[in-house]
Amino acid sequence: MFPDPDSKLAQRLNPVLFLLPALTIYIVFAIYPTFSVVEYSFTDWDGISPDRNYVGLANYERLFSDKIFWAAFRNTFVWSGVIIVINVGLGLVIAAMLARVWKARLLIQTCIVLPVVISPMAVATIWRWMYQPTGAINQALEGIGLSALSTPWLGSPDTVLYALALAHSWSTIGLSVIIFLAGLQAVDEDLYEAAHVDGANVFQSFRYVTLPALRPVTAVVFILTLTQSFKVFDIVWATTQGGPIRFSEILSTYMYKRGALENQYGYGSAIGVALLVIVSIATILYMQIQQKEDR
Amino acid sequence: MKNFAGVSALVSACIALPAAAISQTEVIVWVAGEPGQTTVYDDIAAAYNAQSADVTVTVVKNSSDLFNPALIPALSAGEGPDLFSFGTGPGQPAALIAGGLVADLTGAYYQHNWADTIPEGIVVQTSSDGKLWAFGNEVETTGMFYNKAIFAEHGLSVPTTWPEMEAAVDTLMKAGYDTPIGLGAADKWPVSHWQSMMFGRYAGPEGIEAVLFGDGAWTDAPFVAAATKLQEMGKAGWFGPTPVAIGYGELMDRFWAGEVPMTFTGPWVIGGGMEAAGDRIGDYSVFAVPPFEEGQQIHPTNSIGSGWYIRESSAVKEAAVDFMNFMFVSNQGRVALLNAGTIPVGPLDAALQTAEMPALAVDIWKTSDDHAANGTVPAFLDTITPGSLTTVSYDGLQALLIDYMTPQEFTAEMQSAWAASKAAGEIMLPGGIAEQ
Repeated sequence: MFPDPDSKLAQRLNPVLFLLPALTIYIVFAIYPTFSVVEYSFTDWDGISPDRNYVGLANYERLFSDKIFWAAFRNTFVWSGVIIVINVGLGLVIAAMLARVWKARLLIQTCIVLPVVISPMAVATIWRWMYQPTGAINQALEGIGLSALSTPWLGSPDTVLYALALAHSWSTIGLSVIIFLAGLQAVDEDLYEAAHVDGANVFQSFRYVTLPALRPVTAVVFILTLTQSFKVFDIVWATTQGGPIRFSEILSTYMYKRGALENQYGYGSAIGVALLVIVSIATILYMQIQQKEDR
Repeated sequence: MKNFAGVSALVSACIALPAAAISQTEVIVWVAGEPGQTTVYDDIAAAYNAQSADVTVTVVKNSSDLFNPALIPALSAGEGPDLFSFGTGPGQPAALIAGGLVADLTGAYYQHNWADTIPEGIVVQTSSDGKLWAFGNEVETTGMFYNKAIFAEHGLSVPTTWPEMEAAVDTLMKAGYDTPIGLGAADKWPVSHWQSMMFGRYAGPEGIEAVLFGDGAWTDAPFVAAATKLQEMGKAGWFGPTPVAIGYGELMDRFWAGEVPMTFTGPWVIGGGMEAAGDRIGDYSVFAVPPFEEGQQIHPTNSIGSGWYIRESSAVKEAAVDFMNFMFVSNQGRVALLNAGTIPVGPLDAALQTAEMPALAVDIWKTSDDHAANGTVPAFLDTITPGSLTTVSYDGLQALLIDYMTPQEFTAEMQSAWAASKAAGEIMLPGGIAEQ
């Protein structure tokens, strides 16, 4: 009935059998819905009616002339840019510093990583409170004599996107730091000693030893941050719902509004597909640049 | 043999227990609210369950933000609640009805003599194609809630003209209240209460109906004038220096704490206010916003807000109708609603004999009744217009408040979204039910 465990057939079948449960779940809950969204994007489905009329590329044509889509597109890029700078740039610096700190390292590390495990809705509530006109941030600014910098952070079109990006980075940078720290532990200490012997200062060691050694890890953190930042929804929705007006509207909130709130599932799906294409292109481009530099 | 008998008895018991459980009909009811929060519907369901031998009602709460996004996929999948509250009027339910997701209640209307309870005007808003789709269960209104203690401290009386209103706001601002009228516009929807009231004041009931059910347009002069006035109030700082930075929850906390003297809202805040203000709840009352222009009439806002629908694929429609009868027709249910500050539709004489309405609820309804003869206007335009128009209105109202959009641009965007919805057939034309 069953093939001999040592047989070639069994050896070929075993990996497939082990993969099958996970693969089934992945196909049902990830691959199939993705293809469904692509299919819906070619229809005028309202999410309710049993009828779905195929409208060809009409939803995609509409995207090109939709001013709100382009505003959300621009906001998404600004949002991702800010988060990448903070999570990749600052995350790397923090990790490099932590790697050299021994006293209270665990405590500092815990403080940085703790927000990662806080629920996004709780993060949104905390920051919504902190960013109130009479909230903790403005009070702190006033306390140190910088009341001129007080502003309605989430109520001003000039600050809302950056304020939310900062809040999102606060809750996610810990993951970047952990990954960078793991990468730093693999860097040969001899390289630092050699650099030191050659007269390199701390910054030169970072520039010429740490950065090149962490190139693969940086790529992982970059891609993770990029994809996470593009698909973020909860913190924006729970704080501003894309407002004031549409100044914090990003592609994911716009997709939700059109699809779920306005019952334009077809058009909302087209926005989702656009988001998927953008993230894929950005990821592929970055990986190609990395490979080119490595060569 | 003995063993066999024992096993048989055990098996029979195992089969009988679930069978007994299955015979208990469960009606799942979805209402808007935070999970864990107790609403009047929980109390009514508990009372119903206590007196019903074979039906159990389970009330499930979904927060307002997530209600529709959770409801629609559930209904589309043939699942979800047996009974639920949802928007009424020409915009929101049209897609549900067209999709065949909600049950026709016309039979129940005649069978249970709902005509004795539901006024014809409400039937008109909850029916189309000669069929009744929802039980329009309660009347909602809005008014200016204010802190009497703050008014008394600064020698202010309730303003009855616009110059008096301006003087009151001026006095409060000079007294150090940076937000004389709280708005909570970060959440967008609270501004639409002002929009509904002001559109109604400037256009009158006929003007609103002309747009909703006729050939009127949101770009008509009265709507532009109302938007202009709202923007002027925002620019003058009536809603505080940063109206779109403060959410509704934070605003109400400040209002009940005595930091904000006025806010325009509805009876649904009364329960929370009684908890937050405690003994100071007597400091609060309600007045009608005075006419914005000379010669303008006060039209109280009066909406059914939401209606109650039964899922078409529900297997317990009869039980759901029975629970609706208990909630909205029986004296017990109507008294419970009144005690919570909710006004059920239909004659109130019998229920009012035993009900103990909160004083603030009495105040707001008295304010509404005082001007009802002038004709009423919808309290919540955002719940009776299609989602696409609601999104445009919400964003546009914020834009008006922070001067990023002119009133003309705002109304033009509204009209554009409205026209697109009309062209897409998303607007239903209510109009009564067929005689039986």
